[in-house]
Amino acid sequence: MNRINPLYLGLFLIVLLLFVSFKLSSAKSELSDAKEAYKESSKLSNELSSLKKVYSKKVNLESLRSASVVQKRTKTGVILSSAVMSSKELNALMSRVLNGAYNITGLKIKKQSATKVSLHLEIKW
Amino acid sequence: MFTKFNVKLTTLFLDPNSAHHYSMADGERVNIILSPSLYWVKKISLPVKYARDAKKLLASLFEDTLPEGNYSYSVYKKEEEFFIFAYEDKVILDAMSKAGVSLSNVASVHFAQSEMQGIEGAVKINEAQSIYVKDDIVVLVPCCWIEESGDLDMSEITLSKHKVVLQQYAHIVENSSLYKIGAVLVVLSLLVFGEYLITLQKTSEVTQLKDELFAKHKLKPTMLQNKSMLKKYKTIHEKQTKLREYTSYLLSLRLQGNEKLAKLSLKDKTLDAEFSGASEVTLSRIQNIMKSKKVKFTTELRNKTLHLEMLL
Repeated sequence: MNRINPLYLGLFLIVLLLFVSFKLSSAKSELSDAKEAYKESSKLSNELSSLKKVYSKKVNLESLRSASVVQKRTKTGVILSSAVMSSKELNALMSRVLNGAYNITGLKIKKQSATKVSLHLEIKW
Repeated sequence: MFTKFNVKLTTLFLDPNSAHHYSMADGERVNIILSPSLYWVKKISLPVKYARDAKKLLASLFEDTLPEGNYSYSVYKKEEEFFIFAYEDKVILDAMSKAGVSLSNVASVHFAQSEMQGIEGAVKINEAQSIYVKDDIVVLVPCCWIEESGDLDMSEITLSKHKVVLQQYAHIVENSSLYKIGAVLVVLSLLVFGEYLITLQKTSEVTQLKDELFAKHKLKPTMLQNKSMLKKYKTIHEKQTKLREYTSYLLSLRLQGNEKLAKLSLKDKTLDAEFSGASEVTLSRIQNIMKSKKVKFTTELRNKTLHLEMLL
């Protein structure tokens, strides 16, 4: 005759439903956070990988070759220097450097005469 | 494996008109036989073979013969005839409570009809009433109708297998309604649980996608490291963009007369330009241009040499 009180059973089912609903709500919140984190990571990784691709790639020294310019390779980049070079040559070289995606960390151009200049250019990767 | 002890339980006769009050110890278990005052009985022939088939017909068989109330029904078959019962759980529970018997003390509940078929003559059950068997039905009669009534001896009764289970809350909500509400709650819980599992699965998939993204782009393990790296590259990008932009401003300047760009240098975040043959007019013109381009700059004119310092 010791039957389970149906009200207790009903209460148990309601508590069970509330508990499962609470768990669902937490899981939904976690999913929302995970989606947000994925979105943020996706945006960050795209930006980072494209910038990294541009500024971390090693400079192709052939593309910056010039008759009067000495190229000196360092651990983290390259130094282009010339004690005397023509303005025309400088224009051609600078046009290639400035139009390319190079990380220029140092630059010094000094006019020597009407047509001659000196150059010191540092590029890092 | 298990030893089952066959304990003989006390059997009580429950009659609502009896003044007898039982005192039960905690954990004591008794069998109850219900007085005919607590139920309605009919002996009928039905066109069905088994009692379980007859169960569906019970409510309609008692229709219009019972006073208003919340009835439960029971049936058993004896030979070719069915004994059908209608009883009110609440009335029986009230009678038990009045007699001092708690539902937790009750092992089983039987009808006098099924248990007292063997009584001889009339048996007195309270001050005013007796029971006796007439045409296989245990009937209740006033004591004054019968001159010789014996006393009720419960020790001689051997209980049959015909018993009923009392519904404690049957008078509040019908069983069918309880089952429906319970079923709805269970279904809802299952649906929510299912949704919970799906959500967990989705979260796991998104986390996996994120891990794949990190591996694909060779990112650092923590977002903090990656953010710091991105900040570094953004700073480089910003500086390089400004360097090219400001250089283009310098190269597009329309120099006049002896004005010449004599020196251009970059150190840290500063781009320096030196103009020879400059005058106050040159200074003012360059200042205006740089202001219009919204460049952060400083200028100094000394010995016809103009120093322009631009912050990247």
